[in-house]
Amino acid sequence: MTRMRRILMLVVLVLVAAACSEGTATGDLGPELATITVDEFEAEIGSSDRPLVVNLWASWCIPCRSEAPLLRQAHATFGADVRFLGIATEDSPRDSLAFLEEFQLTFDNRSDRPGAIRAHLGAVGLPVTIFVRPGGEILRTHFGVIDDATLALGIDDLLADG
Amino acid sequence: MELTLLAAALTGAMSVWIANRLLRTRVSVDRPTDVLVGAAAVGLLIGRLAAMIGAGVNPVMRPADILIVRGGVSTGFAALGALGVLAWTNRDRLPMALDQLAPAALAGLAGWHGGCVWRGACLGTASELPWAITSAGTSITRHPVELYAAVGFVVAALVTARFMDRPWTGVGVGLILAGAVRLATEPLRVSITGGPVGWYVAAIVVGIGTAVVGQRLTRTRPPGPSSMEISPP
Repeated sequence: MTRMRRILMLVVLVLVAAACSEGTATGDLGPELATITVDEFEAEIGSSDRPLVVNLWASWCIPCRSEAPLLRQAHATFGADVRFLGIATEDSPRDSLAFLEEFQLTFDNRSDRPGAIRAHLGAVGLPVTIFVRPGGEILRTHFGVIDDATLALGIDDLLADG
Repeated sequence: MELTLLAAALTGAMSVWIANRLLRTRVSVDRPTDVLVGAAAVGLLIGRLAAMIGAGVNPVMRPADILIVRGGVSTGFAALGALGVLAWTNRDRLPMALDQLAPAALAGLAGWHGGCVWRGACLGTASELPWAITSAGTSITRHPVELYAAVGFVVAALVTARFMDRPWTGVGVGLILAGAVRLATEPLRVSITGGPVGWYVAAIVVGIGTAVVGQRLTRTRPPGPSSMEISPP
């Protein structure tokens, strides 16, 4: 086990050395996202005539980064039948736009800088994904990072209901 | 709460323990607990790094994020990392170690799939079969596809255990059955990405190759002591 200890110590040393590194700055990203309040959110989902997938995210949220490519793919596959709405939560406009650009998320996104919608939904952390039937009834709320099967199942249930 | 990985680890550990008790054999690895814990730790780290890189997070720039496991662990890379450590620590007797660990790995996969019960993620495509179950909030009934896979992996573990004492054959049969179980259940899953079907096919092909080589080695070698070490009574 001496070799195993050496490998583990080497990994720890690399990580400690890496902690001294610095990040890079992003460039000018243009206009900010439109904001959304709790009342506007309720009105938005209530007036939707299509099934709706709402995703609460933030650029600083690591799990949100994990699921962003999946959401992009889901939008590309089901975007004609299901509406996707992203809500940048407690995030700076500049970072939100950089996130959208980085993951090429082209569906409708709004900004909820105070995090009022997250609090309204009773969520403690991010991300949160909500599956909403046409007319505004919430079918399911998923707290935490969403995987392929859970997202596909939620969309399949919405479409089967429709 | 995410208990799937815990269920997988417990099932794998339990299968090794049962094999030791019932078959009166032991895994011929020095300090098996140290090796397994070390392999699991390194596998977890590699899986976490792979998940971060996949998510566009540079682990060198943000090393503290490595500890936020909730952000995801790439199970494929974690498994490869753990297997790499096992292979390295047992490089003098690799076929023997892999053959003996193959049934435990399959039992662990059974536990991983069976863990869907805790996280409510057993459901697959819509079905009206008597055992189909409903998803929350709807009346749509669906195949409990992950439970099918769990049963399939239990059977695969039992079958693979019969080949444990034939060099390279146990691990070959294990790979074939693991790929086959996932491939057979994949059409019953709902998925946006389509699932890593190519990897399942690759596992079957590599497994067939490994088992064939193992059979030839078994035939050409003169009879010697079994790779299974029988514990003294």
